[in-house]
Amino acid sequence: MSIKASEITDLIQARIKNFEAATEARNVGTVVSVTDGICRVHGLADVAYGEMLEFPGDTFGLALNLEQDSVGAVVLGEYQHISEGATVKTTGRILEVPVGPEMLGRVVDALGNPLDGKGPIKAAKRSPIERVAPGVIWRKSVSQPVQTGYKAIDAMVPIGRGQRELIIGDRQTGKTALAIDTIINQKGTGIKCIYVAIGQKQSSIANVVRKLEEHGAMAHTIIVAASASTPASLQFIAPYSGCAMGEYFMDNGEDAVIIYDDLTKQAWAYRQISLLLKRPPGREAYPGDVFYLHSRLLERSARVSAEYVEKTSGGKIKGKTGSLTGLPIIETQAGDVTAFVPTNVISITDGQIFLETDLFNSGIRPAMNAGISVSRVGGAAQTGVIKKLGGGIRLSLAQYRELAAFSQFASDLDEVTRRSLERGQRVTEVMKQKQYAPMSVAEQALSIYAVNGGFMDKVDRKKIVDFEAALQAFAKTAHSDFLKKLNEKPELSKETEEGLKKICEAFLATGAY
Amino acid sequence: MGRPPVAERATIARPYARAAFAYARESKGFDAWSKLLGTAAVGAADERVARLIGNPHVTSDQLVDLLGGLSKQAAGEHGRNFLRALAENRRLALLPEIAAQFEALRAETENVVDVEVVAAREIAAPQEKRLAAALKKRLGREVRMHTRIDQSLLGGAIVRAGDLVIDGSLKGRLERLGSALQNQ
Repeated sequence: MSIKASEITDLIQARIKNFEAATEARNVGTVVSVTDGICRVHGLADVAYGEMLEFPGDTFGLALNLEQDSVGAVVLGEYQHISEGATVKTTGRILEVPVGPEMLGRVVDALGNPLDGKGPIKAAKRSPIERVAPGVIWRKSVSQPVQTGYKAIDAMVPIGRGQRELIIGDRQTGKTALAIDTIINQKGTGIKCIYVAIGQKQSSIANVVRKLEEHGAMAHTIIVAASASTPASLQFIAPYSGCAMGEYFMDNGEDAVIIYDDLTKQAWAYRQISLLLKRPPGREAYPGDVFYLHSRLLERSARVSAEYVEKTSGGKIKGKTGSLTGLPIIETQAGDVTAFVPTNVISITDGQIFLETDLFNSGIRPAMNAGISVSRVGGAAQTGVIKKLGGGIRLSLAQYRELAAFSQFASDLDEVTRRSLERGQRVTEVMKQKQYAPMSVAEQALSIYAVNGGFMDKVDRKKIVDFEAALQAFAKTAHSDFLKKLNEKPELSKETEEGLKKICEAFLATGAY
Repeated sequence: MGRPPVAERATIARPYARAAFAYARESKGFDAWSKLLGTAAVGAADERVARLIGNPHVTSDQLVDLLGGLSKQAAGEHGRNFLRALAENRRLALLPEIAAQFEALRAETENVVDVEVVAAREIAAPQEKRLAAALKKRLGREVRMHTRIDQSLLGGAIVRAGDLVIDGSLKGRLERLGSALQNQ
């Protein structure tokens, strides 16, 4: 279909009609130097810290250094067309991004512009990217779970809505896979997801989008992409933009999960900006305020009370709490968690999931080190059945680790030790789980019950994975009503325990493994 | 030695301007100092003088004599001392900057502001009066207007007071319309 000339004329006419040409009064300055995306500007006497600046050619910048006679600003986007002597104007606004349900299913850049070619986003609201976190009065303690769909995590390091749980590990240990599976598992739960990709390859981001689309998880997800090829300024602000989008859901009494993948690269981008702004370098050449960089971001993840939701929504939404769960990712170098950024983020978050290369390579996936992974608040949010059954898992794994190291020196072992070792090995096997195969609470409960109850003791260690799969398939066909009921009411009553026992016994009787 | 950038020049010039200003206020000699700094600044900015400032064959006394001599009656002993201090620190090239900052400080204490009005056409006297009154209200101080004609504005006027720019020109509005049409 071709466009008629009259249509264009009408469009332009309408736009001219709507154009309001008020006389503008602005503070102006002159660009003194442009170096690697940093502009020094002379003038701008009344500029505020963090204010958006307008450069020629519809380019915007952020005023980051306010000095006696000049302003250091970082350009958001391309800066090749800015030259010395160019005029810079203040805007009187803090940087804002579009927020709202219209953003769901879209891939946007750090400024909220669409990148997926699906047309403009008609978001009704905009929100500043930097905001002070909700205060103590407005918060509520964490009490509802976010199910990752992984047995190992939901049983041992449970995550609650509004919690900040760090995912930390070397490269190629399955950090992103864990995050993506968590997003996929939120399908149909009403939890919205925001995935912020910082400093990643475009191809990796495209892969994530494709996987989410394949599993029908894009409909409840926003992807904020600041790939490795975007300027450092955009990589630096991307997490704050994503957070503003997530806060919209929190403020409206909904639950959201935000994944920052990864904050190491954001810290690098910020280090680059800071050094170019000539701020003094500190440890590992990071500026003095890297801690604040991450603490102010992660502090915005919260669970807020119904009163807060009522206040922010202007009294429209009543009796609903909101939450923003933060899952920051940190990449370590050769397992060194004592580097600057990892220690900072470990101390800020409410727990961490350690993923290790050795475990990953020996086939234990998710490659979580259960000994040092913790969740400081998630226990309160865990479902009843998993909480009761999961306690045994932690214990047998802890005993196993202790004995495994010790038993290497002993030639023959007593019965109790041997049994403890065997149980530990089986628990380790059961905790393995494939990617893109999240499990419901009932399914998790069944697997954990089976191994805890000793139903797998007679099975060969190498066959455990197959045994578990067969058990799950059996339960799904023969006892689907029971699983459904358990998912609806995930409590460990006598009744449930008997039901689980019955399934396991019936399955053993079939001998179909 | 290259010229330091604008921002740095302002930073270096500030203590000199402040010192001159403080002395002028104490001795109630604003006019004399304005004149001294003004003429010396024009002198220092002159290309022929600028060449002498960096020249090793020209002593600082000679430079002070030259620049101070431009406004003999205004200089006085203290003025010459000031120029000598600048010459010893090799900061004579900053005189235009110092003069500008001195004037800014003076305008602040006298509660006046220099406003540049660029108009497309000659501004009639009653119009100028009304503009001055409006600006006085907006800026909260006495206004010293300097008008200039620039026909490329097509219509309207641009008002500049320090870093504040009020763009009421037809050219500016057309530019904004242009960018509004290009976006979305």
